Amino acid sequence: MDNPLVLEPLFRLGPVPVTAPVVATWAIMAGLALFSVLATRRLALRPGRVQTVLELFSATLDGQIRATMGRDPAPFRALIGTIFLFVLAANWSSLIPGVEPPTAALETDAAAAFVVFAATTGYGIRYRGLGGYLRTFAEPSWVMIPLNIIEQVTRTVALIVRLFGNVMSGVFVIGVVLSLAGLFVPIPLMALDLLTGGVQAYIFAILATVFIGAAVGESPSAAPRAKEEEQSP
Amino acid sequence: MSIDWWTLGLQAVNLLVLVWILARFLFRPVARILAERREAAAAVLADAEAARAAAEAARQEAEAETAALKARREALLAEAREAAGREAEALRAEARAGIGRERAEAEAQIARLRESGQEEAAGAAAALAADIARRLMGRLPDSARAAGFAAGLAEALADLPEATRAGLGVAAPLRIRAARALSEEERRDLRDRLAAVLERPVTLDVAEDPSLLAGLELEAPGAVVRNHLKADLGRIASELARHG
Amino acid sequence: MTGSLVEIVSIIAAAVAVSFGALGPALAEGRAVAAAMDAIARQPEAAGTLSRTLFVGLAMIETTAIYALVIALLVLFANPFV
Repeated sequence: MDNPLVLEPLFRLGPVPVTAPVVATWAIMAGLALFSVLATRRLALRPGRVQTVLELFSATLDGQIRATMGRDPAPFRALIGTIFLFVLAANWSSLIPGVEPPTAALETDAAAAFVVFAATTGYGIRYRGLGGYLRTFAEPSWVMIPLNIIEQVTRTVALIVRLFGNVMSGVFVIGVVLSLAGLFVPIPLMALDLLTGGVQAYIFAILATVFIGAAVGESPSAAPRAKEEEQSP
Repeated sequence: MSIDWWTLGLQAVNLLVLVWILARFLFRPVARILAERREAAAAVLADAEAARAAAEAARQEAEAETAALKARREALLAEAREAAGREAEALRAEARAGIGRERAEAEAQIARLRESGQEEAAGAAAALAADIARRLMGRLPDSARAAGFAAGLAEALADLPEATRAGLGVAAPLRIRAARALSEEERRDLRDRLAAVLERPVTLDVAEDPSLLAGLELEAPGAVVRNHLKADLGRIASELARHG
Repeated sequence: MTGSLVEIVSIIAAAVAVSFGALGPALAEGRAVAAAMDAIARQPEAAGTLSRTLFVGLAMIETTAIYALVIALLVLFANPFV
């Protein structure tokens, strides 16, 4: 059995070793970009089927962001939506034979989590100012400063490990079952994998929303939910 | 535990590029089309609102027009009713006047009829009285039909004005009509009496007229002296007619 | 068996981590599902919201077991002491 924690480079671009998740990510990017360009090439006021789905997705996304952050969703829509779409596509790419989902590699999840972390810090500084953002670490009192800093790290690590563990364990379990049993036995597990992949994509996106919302200062109504989410991992 | 930092960096860059791509090609156009749709819907709603307002205005206008028509119709009706009332009143007045006229005519007719009836009754009564008198006279002796009346005639002649009396019997004999033929004696007696009244001798031209029933009548140009029952009965009859 | 003592202990540790790491989440998921069923029985009209929240919550709880699995895999495949 292969070591799931070690990546072997497929080829090298100059000094850069290119691994399988990177290639898969490129394919996913190309697919998503192509789909976006084709789907949004002719948008009309009277929507077609694809456009209706896109608009429904966009409206649901806006609704989720607004419900979580209590703010206008326009500045966050692209980041949150992209994270959700990428994680979903990556999770479900395991359906294609021979493709191992990029999110089953720790590096991809770490990259996504670091993007979220950077976005959290960036939005916090942009909305509160540098001093205002740093002051949030002293809330509710200065005693909490070390704990808040540790929380920033742990929640990012939890984000990474949650996504990585779920996807990787799915791939791992399917590999084990395939090595033990025959043709059709892994199908229920793969279906479960699909469900897990969708739920994990949603959780990743919603947690990113919660983190960013907490950083930019959410409206009072969204505050309890944000705290609740932060405690769970 | 070994992290491939190159892969980590590449994936981070990939993710950022993907964010840019999707923002550029997916989220922005969809958001734009949603905003456009919202604006279009708002425009359509505004249009519908305007159309509704216009329809409302038109409805109110139509209502006002209907009310005006109604009022005009009411006015026309009232006018027509009034005219009809006037006409009817006029007709009624005319009819009343006609009826009054008719009634007056009828009353006049009735009066006339009654009058003629009375006259007829009076005539009948006079005829009856004349008949009765004639029969009664028939029972009386002939002398009574003339003799008693000579004195009366003389008195009536005496009552005449002097001028009239003076002209009597001058140019021609006095014409006397008597109920029956007078005897010689009676004729003489009458001549004497008349001569006594007129204070001159007269000649008589006596004619018989049974319609006088009884009595005498003196006829002269300018004067008629009646002293007979026919005249009395006629006076009574006219009196009756006047009172009855 | 030619494995060293460290490898034997690592394998035992991985098995213990996964088994005990699966215990708590299993109990927690059971309680969560029971509570969700109770809520759906009380309020069938809220079944959609409840089941969506249930799935997210189950995924969160499951993450705890996944952490144990990750530790086990680390011990097995990326053991720093081997």
